[in-house]
Amino acid sequence: MVREWTSLFVALYSLLMIYGLSLWANGSSADFLSFLKNPAVIGFSTVALVFTMFHAVTWFYLLGAVSPIKIGRSTTKPWQALVLNLILLIIISYLAIWLVVLR
Amino acid sequence: MARGATMKVETHKVARLHAILWGIFSLGGMIAAFLLPVMIYMTAIAYPFSLWPFNGTKDPSFLIAGHLLGAVFVFVTVAGSLYHGIFRFQSALTEVGLLRYRRALEAVGYFIIFVGIIVLGYYLLRWFLNGAIA
Repeated sequence: MVREWTSLFVALYSLLMIYGLSLWANGSSADFLSFLKNPAVIGFSTVALVFTMFHAVTWFYLLGAVSPIKIGRSTTKPWQALVLNLILLIIISYLAIWLVVLR
Repeated sequence: MARGATMKVETHKVARLHAILWGIFSLGGMIAAFLLPVMIYMTAIAYPFSLWPFNGTKDPSFLIAGHLLGAVFVFVTVAGSLYHGIFRFQSALTEVGLLRYRRALEAVGYFIIFVGIIVLGYYLLRWFLNGAIA
């Protein structure tokens, strides 16, 4: 049940971002940036990051439990899917930063 | 007989709609799991504390204005996460004793998702058409 409640933080962070973008749309990008530096926003977002990571880890584990892959005679375990997806998460995160910021 | 056939068609339609909604929910789950953590890191930790990749001249407005790909990244991540989060949370509420308000919860949930995605899409499209997105 904890997993279901973490989805609230996923939704609230998304709404927070939309609100931040509305500040930009109705003002300037400086409004959006100062919104991001607001201590309450930083605090909430940090909590949201922890819950989002929990959400991601349990999601990866569930993926392995729901759809195990058969390789030869053995079947993959949920923790193997978790480890593989965590490695993928690190690669995708770096790629996302590289594509949208560093490039 | 005809009524039974009509009901069967309706049941199929509802089942198909449910399958589509749960399919989008799963897609949103993948987006929330793979893309949301890095987005929160960039906007809530890296930028306010001047950490990599925002320890230079760039800031999170570059995510949207710097590149069309960045705007697509923001749209996909926020819209997918919003759908996934609201959809799961409103169904979780029905599991903790609010089952009789299911219709109302669904209506409110879909309203928030719909309005959120439309507003987000409108802003990004407006910036794109204005030339604010490079």
